[in-house]
Amino acid sequence: MIAPARNSGLPAASMIDPRALMTIRNLELRARVIVEGFRNGLHRSPYHGFSVEFTEYRQYVPGDDPRYLDWKVFARSDRYFIKKFEDETNVHCHLLVDRSRSMAFGSGEVTKGEYAATLAATLAYFLHLQGDAVGLLTFDEELRDYLPARHRRLHLRQVMFALERPAEGTATNLVLPIDRITNLVRKRGMLVYASDFLAPIDRLERSLIALTACGHEVSIFQVLDPSELTFAFEQASMFEDVESRRAIYIDPVAARRQYVPKFEAHCAAVRRICEKLGIVYHRLTTDQPLELALFGFVQERMRRGRQGRPARREGPR
Amino acid sequence: MSFLAPLFLLGALGIAAPILYHLIRRSTRERTLFSSLMFLLPTPPRLTKKSRLEDILLLLLRCLALAVFAFAFARPFIRTNAIAPAAPTVGRHVVVLLDSSASMQRGDLWDEAQDRALEIVRDAEPIDDVALYTFDRQPRTLLSFEEWAATPVDQRAALASNRIRGVEPGWRSTNLGNALIAAAEALEDAEAQREAPGPREIVLVSDLQEGSQLGTLQAFEWPRGIQLTLATIRVPGRSNAGIQLVPDAPEADPDAEPAARVRVTNARNSNQDRFQVGWSRGGASPGIVGSPVEVDVPAGQSVVVRVPTPPQADGLTQLVLLGDDDSFDNVVHAVPPEKQQVKVMYFGTEADNDNSQLRFFLSRVVTSIEDSRASVSLVAPELGQAPAPQDFQDAKLYFVSDGASPTTAGELRSQMEAGKTVVVIPKSSEQAVVIGQLLGVPPVSLSEGMPPGANGPVRAGATPPYSILGEINYEHPLFSLFADPRYSDFSKIHFWRHRQLRIDDLGEARVLARFDNRDPAVVEFPVGRGRLIVLLSGWNRADSDIAQSTRFPLLIYSMLDMSGSLSSQAGQYAVGDPLPVATIAGTTAQITVTPPGGEPTQLADGATAFPDTRTPGIYTVAAGVRTFRVGVNLDPAESRTAPMPADELERYGAPGSAPVANAAYEARKEALLQGTEAEGRQKLWRWFVGAALVILVLETLLAGWTARRNAASFESGGLPS
Repeated sequence: MIAPARNSGLPAASMIDPRALMTIRNLELRARVIVEGFRNGLHRSPYHGFSVEFTEYRQYVPGDDPRYLDWKVFARSDRYFIKKFEDETNVHCHLLVDRSRSMAFGSGEVTKGEYAATLAATLAYFLHLQGDAVGLLTFDEELRDYLPARHRRLHLRQVMFALERPAEGTATNLVLPIDRITNLVRKRGMLVYASDFLAPIDRLERSLIALTACGHEVSIFQVLDPSELTFAFEQASMFEDVESRRAIYIDPVAARRQYVPKFEAHCAAVRRICEKLGIVYHRLTTDQPLELALFGFVQERMRRGRQGRPARREGPR
Repeated sequence: MSFLAPLFLLGALGIAAPILYHLIRRSTRERTLFSSLMFLLPTPPRLTKKSRLEDILLLLLRCLALAVFAFAFARPFIRTNAIAPAAPTVGRHVVVLLDSSASMQRGDLWDEAQDRALEIVRDAEPIDDVALYTFDRQPRTLLSFEEWAATPVDQRAALASNRIRGVEPGWRSTNLGNALIAAAEALEDAEAQREAPGPREIVLVSDLQEGSQLGTLQAFEWPRGIQLTLATIRVPGRSNAGIQLVPDAPEADPDAEPAARVRVTNARNSNQDRFQVGWSRGGASPGIVGSPVEVDVPAGQSVVVRVPTPPQADGLTQLVLLGDDDSFDNVVHAVPPEKQQVKVMYFGTEADNDNSQLRFFLSRVVTSIEDSRASVSLVAPELGQAPAPQDFQDAKLYFVSDGASPTTAGELRSQMEAGKTVVVIPKSSEQAVVIGQLLGVPPVSLSEGMPPGANGPVRAGATPPYSILGEINYEHPLFSLFADPRYSDFSKIHFWRHRQLRIDDLGEARVLARFDNRDPAVVEFPVGRGRLIVLLSGWNRADSDIAQSTRFPLLIYSMLDMSGSLSSQAGQYAVGDPLPVATIAGTTAQITVTPPGGEPTQLADGATAFPDTRTPGIYTVAAGVRTFRVGVNLDPAESRTAPMPADELERYGAPGSAPVANAAYEARKEALLQGTEAEGRQKLWRWFVGAALVILVLETLLAGWTARRNAASFESGGLPS
């Protein structure tokens, strides 16, 4: 399932260039700029009320628990209203963010790590505004920070703080966070997985099966640098792996011929697994506006809201 | 060929860099970071035979450029027989300041200091003028410029040696500021007397201890062109602590056993921090009597301890400190504190048991005053009998009501002139005569004063008319105890009767308190060095009810304190301080001072101080039949033997101070100076830099040509697989 990121219908001119966005040092402020801009745009759009499950605020009907009566409204309007607790309608969303050193790579001014952190922060802020509980799990070859899903202002700040840490892991274990979140989070919820997926994926499918089997709705954001797609280097040099520090001499002109097919095959394999398991797959490059990712995410949430949970497919199309 | 900065030749090792560069270039030019190599395979590096040959030429050029640069930076020069500098025609003026303070008694400091001073004198050129000064609290001329100039050149060193060897370090403290100022002024005077200005220098031979006083330098403007050279002498690795007597705290526990309080100060560079303090008899038996007091003092800090006086205190005159390396400041000379027997004299006609009269209340208040410092007794001569001379002499405070004969009044006046206090409480207007005799001004009259409302009818049973104190000078020592607003209310004290004092000329008299009708209540007259206080209403029941007030004992205590009766310990005096014998003995007549181990010195009548306190110890001051023993000690600042911070002198505005260097260092410095001059003249480095630049231009041209040729070859040949 591929989100229509580039054909979102949002005017591209109103979006913010990631390079300009990254000049805002504070991550939370950055997330707020994206979300506020996004919501301002939505006033002219037909998409109203995109919360996953609506918070109820309704008149009392016989049979309702009188404890939930809103007495302030009664005082104002002489009517009985029921105010349902926000917790009752909110979902729990966990953000899984790759903080390995490969995410620190960026051929331009924006690294994949900054982009992914901003993406996660944007989603966290957006969900927080809706009243959803947001949790975070960062990882590289091991698990780093884990913050359980909560809906508190201070908690959101802690999420931002954890996301602001630099990506320093020397390897990537794509499976470990999935296994851990499967064990930790029993309540059905949402899961957003942001990584470059530039690691072996042979065990990825099995872990994702276990995760989706628990009833979680999973979205995967593969964050890539434009140069990784095209390998647009000219000069022959020692290419050094930012994670393992292994260096090999490569003439890009010659290497590009074999790199691009291999890379695309890897991405296609990730995408195939997602399709197979009913996971929403977004491929983002660091030169794309982050509003697109948010829009794709929201659009997908609404589509699911209208259609109900997508059926799990048994095999690749 | 020699080099001014030969270390720069090591820069030639930098030729290894291009060699390495040329070696590794075969494998890669640069490194590129990439997120993951999982989709990449290594590419074999490209090599061509032709490029190797050209690279070697480039390599040689680069190595050569680096080597020539290193050569240039090493500042090469060719040694030539430099022209000998012209012999100076103007000699230097040098003042050698030799520290002879007490701290120079430590270790071998003094011998080293003498040797250093002599060395400086011997090194002086015949045309130089040298003056020698020693200093402690004050500078003293040992050898003046005039004497030096008048002495034949070959005898100068011997003369200086004689003078220097004839001096010993004393016991006085160090006032370095005064010494430097004296030296600078001596140089200024000498400069004014010669025709052409020449170099001027002060050489300071001292241990430069932290306790040196530099305060006077703050206001001193240094003359231009004076060089200060420091010949500092140190005793490394020695710990020093000193002791100092501290006056008793006013809040000292009156029930505590008699003890002396001493401050133990440990020098900043001290290695030890545990010391013992105790009383000693000094002299032949310097050990501590009784059990010593252990005291821990961290380096650079001080601690005050109480050293109890042993039961057998006879002959104890020293407090000694044990536990450090330098003993010069380990003794404090002190007379053990003894409880004073203070006498107060009362001249009156009342019986002691008449509970309505002055004497009754006074004797009860006075005898109740007893603390660790003093116990007070009231001496009241019987009417018509002359007081015992010893009592008269011992007392410092005298109360007079109506029992003083004209003779007694005359004697009291002389006591006041010697600094004592007389309080007169005239019970009737006849006492005006006594007051007049005491003041020495006959026209004094007293009359009964009238309290407000006294003229009106008084109802039976009603409170009789009274005065209260309307104005009090709380700044005066008599009332300063009551200055606090909690105690300053005297309005509940009634004065039924009072006297009015009429005097033509109050002179320097001060009214300390007034009644509410503005009549003076307490008047103080200075008489000689003492004072007369007139209370115009007494504490007898007929006069007032002040005796029943809580303020009465405090008022009497203030009088005792003000009269000096309760000052237990004599002041502390440092070596070099003039001894204020007039204050100690209470008189200026027939005073004899005996220094420790010295002969008695009779001071001239009227002399108030004994100036010659050279050594620490117990000085005995004899005045008539009375003798006083006072301790004169080393200045506590002299115990601060840690070295003064290096920039301390400069902070006080002293000219740039330079340490005296040794001959080898001087020779090296001289050689370096000559080399610098030769190199400055020849400037060979310019040629080498020029050569290096030419080589670099060649290298650039060659590299460019090679790159163009390679590019052309690449375009024609295509991308090698």
